[in-house]
Amino acid sequence: MPAGGYFGRALVVDAATGTSVTQPLPDEILRAYIGGSGLGAWLLYRLETPGAGALDATAPLAFVFSPLVGTPLTTSAKFAVVAKSPLTGMLTDALASSQFAIAGKLTGHDAIVIRGTAPRLSVLLVDGAGTRLLDARHLSGRTAAETDEELREQLGRGWRMAAIGPAGERGVRYATISHDGRHAGRGGLGAAMGAKNLKAIAVRSAAKVATADPRGVLAAARDLRERSFGPATAKYRELGTLANLLAFNAIATLPTRNFQAAEFEGADRLAGHEPEEAVDGMRRVARSSCASCTIGCEHIYRVGGGKKARVEYENVFALGPMCGVSDPGAVLAASARCDELGIDTISAGGTIAWAMECAQRGLIDVPWLRFGDPAALLRVLDEIGTSGTPLGSLLGEGSRQASRTVGGDSASFAPHVKGLEIPGYEPRTLHAMALGLAVNARGADHNRSGAYEADLSGDLDRLDGGDAHVAAAIETEDRAAIMDSLILCKFLRGVFTDPFGEWAGLLASVTGWDVTAEELRATARRIVLAKRIYNIREGWQPSDDWLPDRLLKEPLTLPSGRVATLTADRLRTMIDAYYQKRGLDHEGRPDPGIAAGLGLD
Amino acid sequence: MGTSKAALEWHGSTLLVRTVGVVARGCGGPVVVVRAHGQELPALPEDTVVVDDAREGKGPVQGIAAGLGALRGRADVAFVCSTDMPFLHPAFIRHVLGVLGDSEGTGVALPVARGFKQPLAAAYRVSLADAAERLVKEDRLRPAFLFDECVVEQLDDEALKQDQVLAAFDPDLDSVVNVNTPADYQAARARPAPEVTVQLFGTLAKGGGKSGPHAVRAATVGAAADAMGLVLDRHVIAALNGDQITRDGQTPLAAGDTVLFLSADAGG
Repeated sequence: MPAGGYFGRALVVDAATGTSVTQPLPDEILRAYIGGSGLGAWLLYRLETPGAGALDATAPLAFVFSPLVGTPLTTSAKFAVVAKSPLTGMLTDALASSQFAIAGKLTGHDAIVIRGTAPRLSVLLVDGAGTRLLDARHLSGRTAAETDEELREQLGRGWRMAAIGPAGERGVRYATISHDGRHAGRGGLGAAMGAKNLKAIAVRSAAKVATADPRGVLAAARDLRERSFGPATAKYRELGTLANLLAFNAIATLPTRNFQAAEFEGADRLAGHEPEEAVDGMRRVARSSCASCTIGCEHIYRVGGGKKARVEYENVFALGPMCGVSDPGAVLAASARCDELGIDTISAGGTIAWAMECAQRGLIDVPWLRFGDPAALLRVLDEIGTSGTPLGSLLGEGSRQASRTVGGDSASFAPHVKGLEIPGYEPRTLHAMALGLAVNARGADHNRSGAYEADLSGDLDRLDGGDAHVAAAIETEDRAAIMDSLILCKFLRGVFTDPFGEWAGLLASVTGWDVTAEELRATARRIVLAKRIYNIREGWQPSDDWLPDRLLKEPLTLPSGRVATLTADRLRTMIDAYYQKRGLDHEGRPDPGIAAGLGLD
Repeated sequence: MGTSKAALEWHGSTLLVRTVGVVARGCGGPVVVVRAHGQELPALPEDTVVVDDAREGKGPVQGIAAGLGALRGRADVAFVCSTDMPFLHPAFIRHVLGVLGDSEGTGVALPVARGFKQPLAAAYRVSLADAAERLVKEDRLRPAFLFDECVVEQLDDEALKQDQVLAAFDPDLDSVVNVNTPADYQAARARPAPEVTVQLFGTLAKGGGKSGPHAVRAATVGAAADAMGLVLDRHVIAALNGDQITRDGQTPLAAGDTVLFLSADAGG
């Protein structure tokens, strides 16, 4: 086992009985996959029965920690939840930050993997005494926050919970897992947990973890903390991600009305405002931080005397412009409702926007479901999350499956890649990001591929995708693979001037490994490839690396008058170049023998 | 002039850099600079193609031949201009190029602005490269000979100003003004920089009332940033008219432009 950062074992729990066994994690695997997203991919590949359904009893649901968790390094209190996605049928790995990460790791495990189905709705308890199930039938239908509160009262101090809301219990395929108001949001992990009859998992610290070079770690922590107060994080600290909204609108990058436009006339109403500004919109009323974070990106907003809610760009984009809704009170209420139901705002907004367009075109008979109608937005969210109406059940499957059910040409404007709804980055005006969205293992995702950074850097023409965009997409995917495995928050990325070198230094001081920047670059490529190999085993096809027809056939006109097009030919050319640079064949598959070299066999 | 026109200072940049930037904005494709063999040029954007004039002293048709020749296989039409046109507006280029785009049979779109034909502010089909080379070999060096080889559509002031953007932001068609003497240069340089609109976003606008729009006079993105007290570093980017993103302070501005300054740390 390394000198620090790890326990060298995973806990594998059988939810049917509440019993568990430990599985050793060899040093070479820990070094090859680090933790978080990377180690999760390896665990999933090894522990899942090939071809099993995402909601099958045998399907593993892994809570994966990382070597940096528990150190004083800012933003390191994060964990990954990894499983086959009920929404995409491929790998999904959602990251979240909270005390759950620290308490979970300090149960004495680098990962907690859950298989099986509990006989009744239960809470899984994990601490120094082992694992056991607690009857949770009385929590049925409760929100994650309510569940957390009740369990804290019931279990006492020291326990940290991750729970699902009503949508997870109902099997909504984009349900989330929540803890301390944060969410492992994308890909339907809440449905995977619900399928195991688990309302929550509760963890309590029982062990300590060493670091190889405590002084070095402390010095690095001080340095990172100082840098985290600088200009690279100012946006997150001072305004939060909502600051993107007006900027993206001004550069025609704000998906609007299910990608029918990229500018939204109501954007200004949805922009965040300072407390002192006398405006009829969202006012920022408070700010807070995740555990062990010095950035403090969490901004709480309120409209008038209404409910307070944590607001991010993505939930405002998805429930606002994407659905044509400009009423800030309604968007805030919808966002809060998604949190209560326990559903991913991006997939909810994308699926609802698609349904609004279907209604507009007469493909579904739901005349009340109109773009821009705040009441319709709130009503349909409830139908998805709780009531089980035919419409709610249809939309609870996500836009890909729903479009298969509805038929017609509705698939051509279903806003997803691999079944995962597209986040708030317009691919036609961000060509590097278009590639990143198309080829990413998780589906349309802005956290595993941050290629938009290149589009918005000024270093390339964001409307003329080519080789530079391919290189940028690969570089940002590799960087994300390491940040998501170490794990460090992406909002910290701008403070690193030599990312791989600095990350290697951090990992070395925690683990004692003589890891280098070059080794981490190879690790990044390995992690990206491992996810692809998992997906291929589970049925990925070359046509899955693609974007919806609408984005390839309907050009956009920019404020400058320039026309933004992303043709199928251009996307094909970029994907082919991506495959080549990644060492894949022309269909995006690696050499058949390569899995053995990755420790996946 | 006593010095190369290309290197003449222009609002902290040079005339050539400005012209290359404006042409890039106006045509949206590759930019070719034709220079005399061995001529030193100011630093240009990386993607600028520089070609040497094969024969010196052969006048504009030789330059046109070299420039169009460099674009074979890369473009169908090209806007051709001299380096000394400090008020050239991207809308002028777009409009003149658009005439060729709308009319397949036309070989040259030739502005006749401010009373003169403007062969060095005109659009040409790239396929005319061969004819231009032949004319040079035949020592027939006037542009009029090239115009005899194809259909030419002349654009007078009225035709040019049918373009609403051009009429609004270059009503006197200063786009075709060039500087041939030190006095011309001094007069041009003494004019105020173009009026542009600036908007700030995100943390740059923080503090109330800073978001704009603000009307400022600036010939470059860098000057617009200066006017707002901003520094274009790794944390600040500019989007020109909601289109291209840049950190290059020398990016030229023209009347009517809108410059959006954003936090470079965009994204979630």
